[in-house]
Amino acid sequence: MRILVAMSGGVDSSVVAALLKEQGHEVIGVTMKLWEGPNGEMPESGCCTASDSEDARRVASKLDIPYYVLDYTESFSKNVVENFTQMYAQGLTPNPCVECNRSVKFDHFINQAKKLNCDKVATGHYAKIIKNNDKYELHKADYLDKDQSYVLHMLKSSDLENITFPLGEISKPDVRQIAARIGLKTAFKKDSQDICFVGKKDYRSFVEKRIDLTSPGEIFDTKGNKVGDHNGIHEFTVGQRKGLPGGYGTPRYVTKINVQNKNVTIGEKNDLLVSSFIVEELSCVNNLEYKNLTIQTRYNSEDLPCEIKKLSDTEILVQLKEPAFSVAPGQFGVIYNGTKVVCGGRISPKVLENVG
Amino acid sequence: MKNQDYLYLDHAASTPMRKSALDKYIEAESFGFANSSGGHKLSRNSKNLLEDSREIIAELLDSAPSEIVFTSGGTEADNWTIKSLFDSKQPNNNLVTSNIEHEAVLASAEWISSNGFQTKYAKSDENGFVTKDEFIKQIDDETKVASLMWGNNETGVIQPIKDISKELKSINSSTLFHSDVVQGIISDNVDFHRNGIESAAISAHKIGGPKGVGAMFVNNKFKLPSFLHGGKQELERRAGTVDVPGIAAFATALQEQQTRFDEEVGLMNDERLIFEDKLKNALSVEIIGESMKRLPHISNVQFRDINSEVLLIQLDLNGLGVSRGSACASGAQKPSHVLQAMNIDSKFINNHLRFSFGWTTQVGDGSKAADIVMKAVKEIE
Repeated sequence: MRILVAMSGGVDSSVVAALLKEQGHEVIGVTMKLWEGPNGEMPESGCCTASDSEDARRVASKLDIPYYVLDYTESFSKNVVENFTQMYAQGLTPNPCVECNRSVKFDHFINQAKKLNCDKVATGHYAKIIKNNDKYELHKADYLDKDQSYVLHMLKSSDLENITFPLGEISKPDVRQIAARIGLKTAFKKDSQDICFVGKKDYRSFVEKRIDLTSPGEIFDTKGNKVGDHNGIHEFTVGQRKGLPGGYGTPRYVTKINVQNKNVTIGEKNDLLVSSFIVEELSCVNNLEYKNLTIQTRYNSEDLPCEIKKLSDTEILVQLKEPAFSVAPGQFGVIYNGTKVVCGGRISPKVLENVG
Repeated sequence: MKNQDYLYLDHAASTPMRKSALDKYIEAESFGFANSSGGHKLSRNSKNLLEDSREIIAELLDSAPSEIVFTSGGTEADNWTIKSLFDSKQPNNNLVTSNIEHEAVLASAEWISSNGFQTKYAKSDENGFVTKDEFIKQIDDETKVASLMWGNNETGVIQPIKDISKELKSINSSTLFHSDVVQGIISDNVDFHRNGIESAAISAHKIGGPKGVGAMFVNNKFKLPSFLHGGKQELERRAGTVDVPGIAAFATALQEQQTRFDEEVGLMNDERLIFEDKLKNALSVEIIGESMKRLPHISNVQFRDINSEVLLIQLDLNGLGVSRGSACASGAQKPSHVLQAMNIDSKFINNHLRFSFGWTTQVGDGSKAADIVMKAVKEIE
């Protein structure tokens, strides 16, 4: 097969390219250039830096495969960076990596691969694709510590048909060993953790540079008494403990952010417990399922048993079996049946039913 | 794939070294390796070789040896002329150039501008041509340097240098008229004195010489302040140990290029025309600046419905090397400033490729290239 491999310069995608080449495929390496600063500079750290693409080029040269850099900066800036700043401005908790996979990477990448007569695209994600009759299913990786099915939930069966994730059955330590065996310089490179376009900087200063965030509002307790003022809801996220009015004896947390009237509500930890919420912008891998479901409300978080009710083609109501603390509007909720991804979407700020 | 099976049509970016030049380099490195500024026999060898090379190049370019200064290439020469004449004691001085110049000129212009000097840009028309009137109307009493390229590196469109230089002097006789002739020299007769060019940037590797070597022509009327400070090399104009073997190879390359000029350029022109005709007949394409006087080695093709980012890759995989706009550090490519200056419809601005022929071009290359392009386009569609 001719396979287009997305190479970030990290060890995972480097090993993917190497493995596919060893298996006898015709491999073409590509780095997606996602972001550059105002003067064309690349960020210092993260998954799309100049030095990373340099690493990718070096690996491609060692593997003796053709290698290209494709420019995705326009789409990335429009779909990911703008969305990120807008969501923060609204007091939501964005997940730029999911947004990037959802609206920048895969669509465009698969499309380009087809134009280049490639049979498949491959990435270094930890997830599995299983063919079940005519359908392609997305499953958690065998190596659960690194499972990335959460950030890939938006892929549909028709996308998965064109994708291969060679690391789905391999552990990270094994990946590093393979890299060392074939002499890849990236074998012991540390994993990127930062948001690629923000780097090591504080994301708030990144957001503040881009949009005017001064939108003063008031702070209330859960009984509706005013307890303070604030300069803008971007300074808060649900679950936040720092920087709140004190004097209660027990710690206070942001429990609710009202985007319309800019009011912030604070309460006790138990006020953060959520038992039902809406997931919108829903995307299903195959058909929606209703039995034996769990949900992850953050990347690689605990699987919470739940039931769902379909509200529309793009909205479901999620009912947790046990109330949980970790539900932040703006993050993605991904529904699983065992290891299989059923569907996922954005946790809506609309109705968050608190149980105290 | 071996290099010899690969069809190279990116000569505007660089060319392989001519065998004569490479041989000369090896010989010169043995005979004239010593520092040309030294006081012993081997230095004299080196110095003699340097001055012989200067004479050869000067003669080939119809100029005086004292008008040739060696540099590291075209970029340095552009930077030197444009930056070094502006002085904070004359804050009202301005620079005039065009919006389709090479990055070496544009970035130098931005630097001048960031230092507080006015920078004026003559605008290209939709054919990639800067008219005489458009350029001349920017010139005034305070214009210190005016810079316009001979032929554009992306479209090949030849600019009205001679017309402009004549009229420019009648408005401001002290303005230095600089021209980046890096592409022009590949396939056109560039005579500095006859065209009123007072300073020019030339690069060796575009005509089969070594990379990292270039020359600057500066009319004897002008003395540019030194750009690199240090020793007294190059008549105190450019410090640093002189790359004599590289310069000797450059002289040899230029000699061969000028001797074979009609034959080589004739072939580039023929093959380019065959290539363009074949593409126009088979595909929905437009040749940029087709109605204009163009450098024979450059063909900028607009593909109606195909993004050239992918096409470039598909051509590479099929064994044809060409380029798109100008490459940034990471290899990703942006819409070209030249095409933007020409007001090319934004729908098509990412659909361009530059095919550039050169001294290694063989009979049949134009047709072969067109076949590969047609195959690649079919594969993409």
